[in-house]
Amino acid sequence: MQLVEHCMPTTVILGVIGSDAHVVGITILDQALSAAGFEVENLGVQTSQEEFAAAAKEKDAEAVLVSSLYGHAEQDCQGFSELLAREDVDATTYIGGNLAVGQDDFERTRETFRALGFDRVFDSETTPEEVIRSLERDLGISTREAEYDRVQA
Amino acid sequence: MTRDERLTADELQRIDDRIRDDWPTGAAVDFEEAIAYHESLPAHKRFADVLESADRPLLQPRAGVPRLDDQSRLLTHLHESGGADLLPTTIDSYTRDNEYEKAEEGLEKARETDEDTLNGFPAVNHGVEGCRTLVESVDAPIEVRHGTPDARLLAAVTFAGGFQSFEGGPISYNIPYTKERDLAETIEHWQYVDRLAGAYTERGVTINREPFGPLTGTLVPPSIAIAIMLVEGKLAATQGVRSVTLGYGQVGNVVQDVAALRALRALGNEYLPDEVTVTTVFHEWMGGFPPDEARANGVIGLGGTTAAIARPDKVITKSPQEFQGVPTKEANAAGLRTTRQLIDMVVEQDISLDGVDEEQDLIERETRCLMEAIESHGDGDVARGTIEAFASGALDVPFAPSDAAHSAVLPARDDDGRVRIFEWGELAMDDDIKEIHAARLADRAETEGRSQSFRMVADDVDAISDGKLIGRPTGGDGAGREGGETRAD
Repeated sequence: MQLVEHCMPTTVILGVIGSDAHVVGITILDQALSAAGFEVENLGVQTSQEEFAAAAKEKDAEAVLVSSLYGHAEQDCQGFSELLAREDVDATTYIGGNLAVGQDDFERTRETFRALGFDRVFDSETTPEEVIRSLERDLGISTREAEYDRVQA
Repeated sequence: MTRDERLTADELQRIDDRIRDDWPTGAAVDFEEAIAYHESLPAHKRFADVLESADRPLLQPRAGVPRLDDQSRLLTHLHESGGADLLPTTIDSYTRDNEYEKAEEGLEKARETDEDTLNGFPAVNHGVEGCRTLVESVDAPIEVRHGTPDARLLAAVTFAGGFQSFEGGPISYNIPYTKERDLAETIEHWQYVDRLAGAYTERGVTINREPFGPLTGTLVPPSIAIAIMLVEGKLAATQGVRSVTLGYGQVGNVVQDVAALRALRALGNEYLPDEVTVTTVFHEWMGGFPPDEARANGVIGLGGTTAAIARPDKVITKSPQEFQGVPTKEANAAGLRTTRQLIDMVVEQDISLDGVDEEQDLIERETRCLMEAIESHGDGDVARGTIEAFASGALDVPFAPSDAAHSAVLPARDDDGRVRIFEWGELAMDDDIKEIHAARLADRAETEGRSQSFRMVADDVDAISDGKLIGRPTGGDGAGREGGETRAD
């Protein structure tokens, strides 16, 4: 088990954007990220662009993770990277989930969201572990390989 | 203070006048004219009649695309090629959030680009006329399916537009579907919807109401779902609704699902007034699906088989493309046909399963604990009781995005794959029932050689999409995700 010394934990903002209320994915991701040593600010569902930006600024977050499961991500993310730039938020941005309505060609979807300014675009088969590995690479850190089992009495 | 009392005609009118300004299409809603319109519809489009006179489980898919012509073509395909008995119109998420402006934007983009930019049909934007065009273009009864905390304008427009069935309720379309809507407020919103349905019903146009049983669709303990169904059914009955279809979402353990459907029907008939005709609906697996379509068809087949044994009045089908999102019409029709094959082959067999009666007893006992808690929290008023019970956590739903629920209850499967409760929070339940759940979960922990934890729950959430029922610790070959660098950017 790798134990890594951090001066301060890395803060990530997590939330589901727009009118989407799918919460289970971010609940599991929150647990996994926390167990790996990240400081997670989980904004929950139905989070606006402005709320993501404000939280990232307030917490001086290193990464903003946007989840979208209901298909309206393209409309919901118009102007998002410009907003973050205006607010001086310099975080790495990820988006993941079911990002188009229906049976999409993921390569095309990935291009759409890279063009919207996201650093990484994840499909719906992505595991929490992949997200953590990507964050490690992109932020130049390593996290503790944690068993996130808690022993129950 | 919110109470379970019938709205007066004045109150109905007042709310009516207020909401019609929420979007320009509200202006065209005219109750008397709408009654006449419904009277002109042929018998085979009368939802409650068709549903309640059926002698075998009827099939209904979900389906909604932004443009009217496309929606009409889609529903026709599902009816003709899929064999759907009852048709849906699934409403887009912006409309569900009352964001009619965003829905309009999405609709315009759909018209420009020829793509489905919305995940459903924006019925409020299409208005009464659009709805009627749709209703007239199909040959079966049609229902509004959605997830809308404030569905008042949607109900006004779609009822006037010829729809005779409307899904949802104040809890089932609040707790799983929104973060910040107040429960007392949504109860009031749905009292309007139910009173409007009651007003139509009193004039001979029976509007069927279908509270949403699956809730968060993620390992929901049957008794929690059933209790909420009974509450929503009672609230609807107070407002004059006379046709109620109570719902339940498949958990995947056949014995538990059959037991739950029987408990739902028995308790529905017991708790709802005699003048209400109670029917039941079984939703095929509402959780994560396998990415592989062949395996997905297997999941759908299990749903069909379960329905054939339990005989609910209706089945909401899934498609093999569920993992990826909104399916093509062909895939949606295929899910209907897969379900139909299983039901037709199994429904004529006499299959008796060990353990169903015992599981049904347990589920009924649990549901009664919850109903008693609601009763005492509200001094007999089920609206107040529900609000207070959620506030105290005596009533709770796992994995709820809503601030109105504690969401402290955590489920997990036992060694048989039945959904049990692993963390109780403040849920109102007799101690001996809690012991039963604890013992079953302890058996599983022992089988797996690990302690009970959130990890077990997370594994269960992923299990079916990974090819299994129970989220056993990894080591075996999963059938689902491969993960790996190439998948992600």
